[in-house]
Amino acid sequence: MSIMLDKPKDQKTAEAPRGVPRFPDEPVKPVKTPNVFLNILGSTDHKVLGILYLILSLVMGVVGGALAGGIRAQLAAHNLEVLSPELFNQFITMHGSIMIFFVIIPALAGFGNYLVPIMIGARDMAFPRLNAFSFWILIPSGVLMFTSFMVQGGAAAAGWTAYPPLSLKEFSGGPGVDMWILGVHLAGISSITGAINFIVTILNMRAPGMNIMKMPLFCWTWLVNAWLILIGTPVLAGAVTMVLMDRAFGTNFFKPGMGGDPVLYQHLFWFYSHPAVYIMVLPGFGMISHVLASFSHKRIFGYTGMVWAVSAIGVLGFLVWGHHMFTAGISPELRLYFSFATMVIAVPTGVKIWSWLATIWGGTIEFRTPMKFALGFLSLFVIGGISGVFLANVPFDIQVHDSYFVVAHFHYVLVGGSVMSLFAGAYFWFPKMSGRVLSEKLGNVVFWLFFIGMNTTFLPLHLVGLQGMARRIWQYRPEFETVNGIASLGYLFMAAAGALFIYSIFEALRRPRDCGADPWKINDVQESLVWDIPSPPPAYNFARIPVIK
Amino acid sequence: MPRPPALRTLLAVALVAAAGIALGQDFANVPATEPSITDWMLDPVTPIAHEVRSYTLFLVAMTLPYLLLPQVLLLYCIFKFGKKPGMRPATFHENVRLEVVWTIVPALTLVLLAIPAYGLIKKIENMPEADVNIQVIGHQFYWEYRYPDYNDIRISEEPLVIPVNKTVVADMTSVDVNHAWWVPAFGIKMDTVPGRTTQVWFNVEREGWFKGQCAELCGTLHSKMLIDVHVVSQEEFDAWIAKKQAEFAPADEAEETAPEPSAGDADEGAVAQEQSAS
Repeated sequence: MSIMLDKPKDQKTAEAPRGVPRFPDEPVKPVKTPNVFLNILGSTDHKVLGILYLILSLVMGVVGGALAGGIRAQLAAHNLEVLSPELFNQFITMHGSIMIFFVIIPALAGFGNYLVPIMIGARDMAFPRLNAFSFWILIPSGVLMFTSFMVQGGAAAAGWTAYPPLSLKEFSGGPGVDMWILGVHLAGISSITGAINFIVTILNMRAPGMNIMKMPLFCWTWLVNAWLILIGTPVLAGAVTMVLMDRAFGTNFFKPGMGGDPVLYQHLFWFYSHPAVYIMVLPGFGMISHVLASFSHKRIFGYTGMVWAVSAIGVLGFLVWGHHMFTAGISPELRLYFSFATMVIAVPTGVKIWSWLATIWGGTIEFRTPMKFALGFLSLFVIGGISGVFLANVPFDIQVHDSYFVVAHFHYVLVGGSVMSLFAGAYFWFPKMSGRVLSEKLGNVVFWLFFIGMNTTFLPLHLVGLQGMARRIWQYRPEFETVNGIASLGYLFMAAAGALFIYSIFEALRRPRDCGADPWKINDVQESLVWDIPSPPPAYNFARIPVIK
Repeated sequence: MPRPPALRTLLAVALVAAAGIALGQDFANVPATEPSITDWMLDPVTPIAHEVRSYTLFLVAMTLPYLLLPQVLLLYCIFKFGKKPGMRPATFHENVRLEVVWTIVPALTLVLLAIPAYGLIKKIENMPEADVNIQVIGHQFYWEYRYPDYNDIRISEEPLVIPVNKTVVADMTSVDVNHAWWVPAFGIKMDTVPGRTTQVWFNVEREGWFKGQCAELCGTLHSKMLIDVHVVSQEEFDAWIAKKQAEFAPADEAEETAPEPSAGDADEGAVAQEQSAS
């Protein structure tokens, strides 16, 4: 249905003067099916799919959070046996895999699906059916991963990194790792097809007059993000396929006794998985930019600089994977190169931080819930960024590599960065998606519970990491007990915040849809297509394709 | 209502800071004489650990402004620019000079960080002349140590014994999966990778017990793969070696003790070859 809309060629042939619609007023009617359930199941509407992504992410977030609860319960004291050591390793593996592949990435894809077409003034993604495929293939992927807990030998227990030889048949006998690999494959297909869709949509379907340098920052971050996914994910797929071949078909890619090389896997794995860190945070950057500017009633500071910074992070993200391997026995030259290249990334990241601060500087800040999360993001992301600069330095990294310092660092980036930005985005755009504003009162409690819980859990973990506590251990030396107890306490705050957030969604959905097109009064300050159209938007988004001046 | 949220933010920051200080106290109270895993920041015992510690403090000093300045500016914005009636937001949205400054200055700081790192990496990487050679071999789930200079004594599941003030060069490998040998007080960590030999060196300046543990997920009992190092005087070391040689020689003939690698003889052959080649 979108074929006739917005092909760039039409722009040239359409000779209508500016402001006059190029298409008849007749809106594109959605295909009507009698059953609501079938309507959702068969929908190719980017908004329906976007919401499905977000629901999936929320459900899997509960699962991943429950796994984290098991981990923190086991680690609350030094010699507990809440979980067996086998189950503990399965929990850490699946906690990481689920949070990455089924919570953060789908949630960002959900916001992207919902918002990118609207922000660029299109009626849908470029390939609506492919879009539906990208979402629905995540379901079997999630089922594969999750049901692996029920097979003989349990779920994959080799860590989300699945380093061979540990992930090979000899050391992980059950089908858990095979199911994990196939799950990663399907999730990867979802990511890749989604990325193609985003690139084509953003490059080809912008409304007339929307120069690429006028495009909202969220679209820019998704454009860069889609390229990262498109380039990186196939390499991950290749690496885990080689593990699968080693396991099932007797190949010897990573078997040291047969001339294979386990370190090769680490190179291939991190070639995807380092950019994956940016895949998990770049669209969050975009969302934060929108929230900060909107609630300070200012324009985003340094738009051009931000675009360049995001693009630079995208390029540099592919050149630094080796900093995950500083203790893997790589050569001195590589250690030096990867160390210095990694530090360079701090520069564009810093540009973003300073630009955000300049964005709120001199504004009139309204402390609504999305803004609280965005300000919290700024504070926490700086901490995660600085510990990242520490880790880029080989001498320091050798000391804390694979320790709880690293765990604390990446949770500051992924929870303090990605998840905080997802909360900010959820509170910010929920009114657009549902026609209702989430409770401000509950939102305040959710924010403070989450912010305090996040810091209580992860700030102390820096300390045990420095003291020498290795990560992924089931029991630990008694001297780490105090700090781990505090961290486990913090988990309860975060879990309460999550539960309250879900409750507040249901609470809001019971109210009438009456928030209007622009509940945050954003169009008083800036022009934004998202807040021009009704909440929730009609299936066709725009009765007339807007013309940007 | 700008005030209350700002105050609450401040309260939260204060709470977190207080927690941090309390934890810092806990950290500092660990007596330096106790054999402890926590020693490297307070009480490093090798030249490398000393330098890593100084370098870390240098890193802290250099990056602290970049940690604190955004937080201070953020708090300032929260207090200063809360919406009040009659206030109008500023309209600036660009300042090329400012943007150049906040690109260049951090970049220069990073160059300053990189210069001393370069020398230190070289020092860590370049193996000095060894007084004692050892081999560290990772197994699921214990460490095996060999002393090639002393009739290839092998010990498993007991503490590594090394002489004080002697340069020890360790060749490391594994017979099954990846492990990592980490003693925090020595300032070193290195993966042991099957089929490869990795190297570290250390020169411990004080006698005593030092703890560490495996730092690369290696399977079910990863958390139980602990490391204990006993650093002794040269005389004690010689005595220990003599005792072990006496134990080891007959055992070697009878081929009954000295636990052999549990898996992958082929791997081990490859390792031995590679070691002799290097």
